[in-house]
Amino acid sequence: MTWVTWRQYRYQGALAAGLLVVVAVVLLIAGFHAASVWHSVSGQCGTGACGGKFGSNISLNGPIVGALAMATSAVPLLPGLLWGAPMVAHELETGTNQFAWTQGVTRRRWLAIKTGWLLLAAALIAGIAAAVVTFWSGPDHALTADAFMANRFDLIDIVPVGYAVFAMALGICAGAVFRRTVPALGVTLAAFVGLRALVAQWLRLHYMSPVTVFYNLQKPFNPAGSYLGVSQGIVRANHKIAPPNFNVPNFDGVAIPKACQAAPDPTPCFAAHGYEGFLKYQPANRFWAFQGIETAIFLVVAIALLGITFWVLNRRDA
Amino acid sequence: MSVAIETHGLSKRYRKVTALSDCSINVPEGRISALVGPNGAGKTTLLRLLTGLAASTSGEAVVLGRTPRQEPVYLSDIGYLAQEIPLYRRMSAREHIGIGAHLNSQWDGESVRARLDVLNISLDQPVGTLSGGQRAQVALALTLGKRPRLLLLDEPLAALDPLARKLFLGSLAEAAAGGDLTIVLSSHLIADIDQLCDHLILLASAEVQLCGDIETLLAEHRLLVGARKDTTAIARTHTIVREETTVRQTSLLVRVNGPVIDPAWAVEEPNLEELVLGYMSQNYASRGITAGADQLSSIGGLR
Repeated sequence: MTWVTWRQYRYQGALAAGLLVVVAVVLLIAGFHAASVWHSVSGQCGTGACGGKFGSNISLNGPIVGALAMATSAVPLLPGLLWGAPMVAHELETGTNQFAWTQGVTRRRWLAIKTGWLLLAAALIAGIAAAVVTFWSGPDHALTADAFMANRFDLIDIVPVGYAVFAMALGICAGAVFRRTVPALGVTLAAFVGLRALVAQWLRLHYMSPVTVFYNLQKPFNPAGSYLGVSQGIVRANHKIAPPNFNVPNFDGVAIPKACQAAPDPTPCFAAHGYEGFLKYQPANRFWAFQGIETAIFLVVAIALLGITFWVLNRRDA
Repeated sequence: MSVAIETHGLSKRYRKVTALSDCSINVPEGRISALVGPNGAGKTTLLRLLTGLAASTSGEAVVLGRTPRQEPVYLSDIGYLAQEIPLYRRMSAREHIGIGAHLNSQWDGESVRARLDVLNISLDQPVGTLSGGQRAQVALALTLGKRPRLLLLDEPLAALDPLARKLFLGSLAEAAAGGDLTIVLSSHLIADIDQLCDHLILLASAEVQLCGDIETLLAEHRLLVGARKDTTAIARTHTIVREETTVRQTSLLVRVNGPVIDPAWAVEEPNLEELVLGYMSQNYASRGITAGADQLSSIGGLR
């Protein structure tokens, strides 16, 4: 079966490897450039207080390279879309499953080995792309402390591997359930984008209960390192409610004192009227825990989808 | 002689349609069985149940001593060639031989190559670029490469021109020559498989009409032709399968129960085509479809 899988996917695999090499070369060159700038500038100014010197030097978000790095967010989806969705569906459409499944190998084995290799390929492709992006964005993340933010967190370290495994399982499952390539492609695309958006916009904020800090509006509070902001606002100091039943109106919901309405900068006025700021956030030291949790979530969903696939293919007539 | 296929009350229902109903057949080992019937009679369904590609709704099947299912020991004894001759169009015959070698424990790739060499079919051309007849030959050779004990072929001749059909049947006859291989061949081209087959399974409307040795079946039936007359005397002793009456004469297909001695009838043994057509048109008549033999030929694909 391994040999058969290789024969069926070798050209597409070579093409994917070629594209990956191109992306990797560009990002590696840009990354080495950024790293050398980083080292030379930080060597000049020592530690701290030299952020201003970098801004123009490290052009990490130079339009083309930056766009390329952002485009790697599609990398985990593509193997699942282009190889996963047709894997079963195309065989059923062309009837070749009747050839494949009447050889001396059971359907289960056929599915297990093909799926196994495709999952591995997807994980590898996404892993390599993520490693390159992680390397490329290292200096920028050190400078701007934004590794935990949406659109960065999703591109680096291990989560893309989880996404890729999920996309592959999703594609294979959709192909087995819908039995046609085009609907399987559509469902894979929609479900992948949907779950990713749901997780990034909402679920991720709640993997652990956030840390809440109240602060004097006159002395703005900035957590150390790259943190993930959950919510932020202004609250009347004596209305504090302790987390987790934290339920206060944010700035918009607060009745603005008359005196402050006309003030050009209302912040000192708010502070004077007994308001304080609050920030709910996930601190930087939770970055790896969050990477792990998010990867695990997608892997669990992938396992469930593969379970459905095996069940459907075994139970339904071919 | 041991039994290759035995089914009891095998049925397959889809949501609204009954594709096969209460099918009980028996095919002895080493026979070449013609599975005939009009389109939609359940031929493909029966073959797919026997391969294990589909599961029956009720009833049981025993094939080569085993229940059809997803097991390497079962699959390796069965060679199946589906109706649309599915192969990977972009792959060459040689690549298919490779696939066969990796998916089968008792694979004979050399025989596949030899067969295709004799027929002068390229091993390296993508099979999608071969002619229909060549593709069917590749598929048959691959199926035989499994060294199956039972070969199930679903309408392999349907898409072939007369010459390709002749070559294909030649390959099949050669494969069957050893005598160990049991073949079930579905077709609606009776004339073509008449020479090859010695066993008949006739399906119509999802039910088995006839199953048995062709010689025996023919010997049990008679064609009676006579001046237009009352048939009740015949029906008293024999079973009238089909009655066709024109202005001047009546012709009957009869399952006989002893000799027909009425001198008013000209009696002769039917040939396979007449027998099959008789049962198939009986079936059409019972469904309220009145059709002449010419129309039937086109409906059932009979020639």
